Amino acid sequence: MPILEARSLSKRFRRADKASGFKGALKHLVQRKYKNFTAVDAIDLEIEPGESVAYVGPNGAGKSTTVKLLTGILKPTEGTVRVMGRDPHTERIANAHDIGVLFGQRTQLWWDLPVEESLKLLKHMYGVPEADYKARIEKFDELLGLGEFMPALARTLSLGQRMRADLACALIHDPKMVYLDEPTIGLDISVKDRLRAFLRQLVDDGTTLLLTSHDLADIEEVCERIVVIDEGRIAYDGPIEQLKAHYITTKAVDLVLDGPADVGSLAEKFPHYEWSAGEAASEVVVTYESARFTTAEVLGDVTAHLRPRDLSLSEPSIEDVIRRLYAGELTK
Amino acid sequence: MADALTIPKGHRFAADRALALISLKRRLAYKTTWLFSITLGGWQLLVGIVVWQNIIGAGSVGGYDWDAMRAYLVIGFVTSTIAWGSADWQMAGRILDGLVSIDMTKPVDFQRARAAEYIGGAVSVVPTAVLGAVAAWLLFDPQDPATPLAAVLTAVSVLLIFPMAFGIGYLSILLCFWTRRYLGIQWAKDGFVSFFSGMMVPLSLMPGWLQALSWCLPFPHFTTTPASIYLGRVDALEALGLIAAEAAWVVVMWFGARLIWRRAIQKVTIHGG
Repeated sequence: MPILEARSLSKRFRRADKASGFKGALKHLVQRKYKNFTAVDAIDLEIEPGESVAYVGPNGAGKSTTVKLLTGILKPTEGTVRVMGRDPHTERIANAHDIGVLFGQRTQLWWDLPVEESLKLLKHMYGVPEADYKARIEKFDELLGLGEFMPALARTLSLGQRMRADLACALIHDPKMVYLDEPTIGLDISVKDRLRAFLRQLVDDGTTLLLTSHDLADIEEVCERIVVIDEGRIAYDGPIEQLKAHYITTKAVDLVLDGPADVGSLAEKFPHYEWSAGEAASEVVVTYESARFTTAEVLGDVTAHLRPRDLSLSEPSIEDVIRRLYAGELTK
Repeated sequence: MADALTIPKGHRFAADRALALISLKRRLAYKTTWLFSITLGGWQLLVGIVVWQNIIGAGSVGGYDWDAMRAYLVIGFVTSTIAWGSADWQMAGRILDGLVSIDMTKPVDFQRARAAEYIGGAVSVVPTAVLGAVAAWLLFDPQDPATPLAAVLTAVSVLLIFPMAFGIGYLSILLCFWTRRYLGIQWAKDGFVSFFSGMMVPLSLMPGWLQALSWCLPFPHFTTTPASIYLGRVDALEALGLIAAEAAWVVVMWFGARLIWRRAIQKVTIHGG
C-alpha cells in the first residue's frame, strides 16, 4: 500500500492582472481583473514506503506547490491526496505528526534564540520522549556536526549550519515520510557532501523521502526514482537508471589533435559517427550510439587514422537528459 | 477539531507550555526594547496625569473629579500595557512572509499555538503593569476601590483583558490572508482600541450615540469596564453583567476566529520555495 497517493491533483491560483505604472494601479483599484493560472495540473503520484523520490523541474514548474499540497499546507483545487491514509489538509495536525518537512528557503528555527531552544520546542510539539530526543541529538551531532552550533543564536549561523539545524528540526520526531524542498540550496560543496551522506543514511534506514532540488548531484546520490515535472504536469516518472538507459543512448570521445581538426573530412571518412568541432581548433568530438558501437571499436577506428595527443570519454549527464526533457525534446 | 483530538492531551499542554516559554524568552532576548517599553509606558501615564490635572482642576469632567481621574488613569495605564503587549505584528509577519507554511507543518492547532505564544509574551508585560501601577499608587495616591468586592471584580475584569487582547490581535492578523498587508489593519485596530475603550478619553465625555456604539463593540472592556467597576460607577450586579459580557466577547472572538481561519487557510498562496 502506498504511503503517499495523489490522484488528479491540481492547484490553480488567481493572480491580479494589473497594468504597470500609476495608471495601471489606479485602474486595478476601480476595476479588478484576475487571471487564473495552473501551478499543478492533474498529477498522479504514488510513493511506496521506503522509496526515495526526486521531484525535479525548472523554476515555476510546480514543485514547491506540489510539496505544499502533499504536506497539507495548501488545499487542492481538484483531486485527492492521501498520506498514510489521511487527507493532509483536512487532517493536518495528525498528518503533521508523521511527516518531516524542510523548506530550504525558509527556516523553522526561532531566529532570536539558540538552536537548542528550537529543537526542545519541537520535542514538546511532537511529544518525543526525553531518551529518544537525546539519542537523536547525539546522532545528528555525529552525522551533521550539530553540537558545534547548538548553543548559538539561529541568526548567527552560517547558511550551511542553518540548513543542518533545520534538517535536525525536520527529523527530530523520526517521521515516516520526509519532504525536503531544496535542502542544499546555496551550500558549498563540502556541506552538500555531508548532507547527501546524511540523506543516504536516512534512506538506508527506511525513511520515505521526497526531495526537490535543482542540484542533480543531490538526486543521483540520494534517490532511486525521479519524477520530472514541467508546467504543472509530470513529464517523466521512473527509476533514475531507467531514465539514463532510455535517454542516454550516445557516448562521446573528445580528441585533442596536434594540428587543426578537419571535421568535414572526418565525417566523410567515418559517416556512421557524428563529428563536431571542439572548443579549440585542434579539438574534435566524435559521438556514437552506444548500442551499435563499443568504445573500443570507436577508439580503434579513430586511432588508426588520427594520432590524438589526448582523449577523454564522456556521456551525457542526467542533467542533459532533464534539460532535454524540459525543452520537450524527449518524451516518456 | 476532530483532528486535534488525535494528539494526546499531555503532548498538547506540553507544547502550549513550550510555545509560551519560547515566546517569553524571545521577548526577554531584547532586553533594551523591554526596558524601553516600561519607560515609555510610565511616561505616557505621567503625561496623562499632567494633562488631566490641568483639565479637571478642582472641578469634575464627565463625572470624574481629580481623585477618580487619577485612579482611572492608573487603571488605563495597566489595561493599555496589557492591550499593547501582544506582538501581533510578529504573527502577521509570519503570514505575510509565508512562514505560516512552516507553522502548518507542525502538529499543533494554529490558533491555540498563537494563543500560547501570546500568553508567554503577555507574561513579559506583567512586570511593566505591576511596577508601573505600584509606582503610580505611591506617587499619585489615587482613589481606593469603591468596595472590596469592586476590587476583586476589577481584578477579574483586568485579567479578562488578556484573552480579549489576544482575540482582537489574532482576528486582525487573520485579515492579512486577504489584505496581504498588516500596517493599515494595525493602525485601524490600535485606533479602535484606544478610542472606543476610553483609553484616550473616558467614554462618558463622548456623545450618547457614540457611547451606545462603543458598547456594541468589545473595546470598552479594555478600560471603561474595569475603571467603572473600581470606581463604583456601576453596582455589583451591573459589574457582574459587564464581566459576563467581557467573557462572552472572549468566547465569541475565539470561535469566530476559528470560523475565519477555516476560510483563511484556503487563501494561503505561498509561491516559490
